Amino acid sequence: MDKFLYLVVEGIKNTWRHKMTALTAVFSLFIALYIVGLMATAGNNTHKLLNYLRSKYKIEVFFKQGVSNEEAVGMIHSIKQIDGVRNATIIEKEDAVRIFKDQFGENIVDLLGYNPLPVSAVVNVDRNRRDPIRVEPIIEKIRLVGQIEEIRYQGNLISKIERNYKRIVDQIPYLSGIILLVTILIIYNTIKLSVFSRRELIMTLQLIGATRSFIKLPFIIEGIFIGLISVALVFPALIITVETLNYMISNFSSFAIKISFDPFVWFWLFLMVIVITTLGSYRAASNFLK
Amino acid sequence: MIEFQNVSYAHSKGYGVNNLNMTIKDGDFTFLIGPTGSGKTTLMRLIYFDLLPDTGLVKVNGYISTKVSQKMIAKARRSIGMVFQDYKLLGDRNLFDNIALPLHVLGFRSGEIPARVDEALELVGLDKKAEHFPNELSGGEQQRACLARAIIKEPDVVLADEPTGNLDPVASFELVRLLETIHETGTTILMASHNYNLIKGRGRPIYEIKDGILRVR
Repeated sequence: MDKFLYLVVEGIKNTWRHKMTALTAVFSLFIALYIVGLMATAGNNTHKLLNYLRSKYKIEVFFKQGVSNEEAVGMIHSIKQIDGVRNATIIEKEDAVRIFKDQFGENIVDLLGYNPLPVSAVVNVDRNRRDPIRVEPIIEKIRLVGQIEEIRYQGNLISKIERNYKRIVDQIPYLSGIILLVTILIIYNTIKLSVFSRRELIMTLQLIGATRSFIKLPFIIEGIFIGLISVALVFPALIITVETLNYMISNFSSFAIKISFDPFVWFWLFLMVIVITTLGSYRAASNFLK
Repeated sequence: MIEFQNVSYAHSKGYGVNNLNMTIKDGDFTFLIGPTGSGKTTLMRLIYFDLLPDTGLVKVNGYISTKVSQKMIAKARRSIGMVFQDYKLLGDRNLFDNIALPLHVLGFRSGEIPARVDEALELVGLDKKAEHFPNELSGGEQQRACLARAIIKEPDVVLADEPTGNLDPVASFELVRLLETIHETGTTILMASHNYNLIKGRGRPIYEIKDGILRVR
């Protein structure tokens, strides 16, 4: 027990004995983990941004001139049943006159002596989907309801947003894999350099009869300790970044979204750093053992 | 006991030891003399199993070179104290921690360590320098610290490879006297040196090694 305790304390003492090396390692690990944390947070919030954009998707359905408000209510009920439609709101002929007046400052009934504006509906799509939304099939189904004069929607914009979203979603696994690999390599190399700078210690310990585990354990403890310091610094850094971004979005943009930080991201970073530093230190120390 | 039976070892550059036979009994104090590059260090390294012979076998305290595993080598080294020409003290810790290191390796309880370290430091005359770091000491002091580290675990054998190589004559004589004091406790000592004047007339067996070939002087 005394021996184990000594090795644990040695590991922590070594961090202090080699402050500059430890500081460099903490800095490298911090940068690597911060980038991974930032990417994970961005990934977590991608859907939030998409939801916001999807909430702006609008399909305007104009019924034929002869369709009364009551008939339109029935048709809108049918539209609401279509897969992918979240809701549909009727705009009665009288509402259309009011909207016209709001937009152009003239009462169209006074000008023409009758109300030429048709009954219409605003259809919102179901935005809570992980897969890209395709508006065209919804439009086709709306047309089948009948008595429809015209359907207006931001087809190009919607397909561009959805296409880009799909591209991002498709790339995320590869991107995450690459970033994770680079992070592992950075952490491993940082630890390896730190161990390399003390190969003399390893050699001396071997000469006085230390076992391989006696030599390796302090390096593993030191690696974990450095990893823990880094990951402890990453937590506030990510929160500050998220809060700064939220401040900038709310004050300098028209987007009504709030980025959130999932503490699970930090938990995963914590686990990741423990695993990588343990294996990395073990491997690096083994490399310098004869 | 240290025994070499027809031991040969060649480094990649060609030098080493050639068909070497030697026996050092328990409690002997033996000198090994020879010019630089003659094979003294190779012979020492063969004793602490840092090198394993190409042919023949080396027996040290019951461990046999042909049968030792990595784990056994670590064990074998625990009964051997080593003194090096370049001291091999760890610059990142003070003398106390340097000298205590073998005791931690052997699993001594933390309560027993300070008294033993103090005793070893006193024996080598460094009792007031426990808190000093190696770079704050003279060459002679560093070599004595190295010796304290070698003997603290009360080894059966002390190997001193050119321990006076970097020391002035006074410090060299002091160190040999210290080794003699340690030998009086029954420790087997093998000291390698290229300085014949330092070891002659001490009434100890002297082996001479030249171009890897050993003979009794």
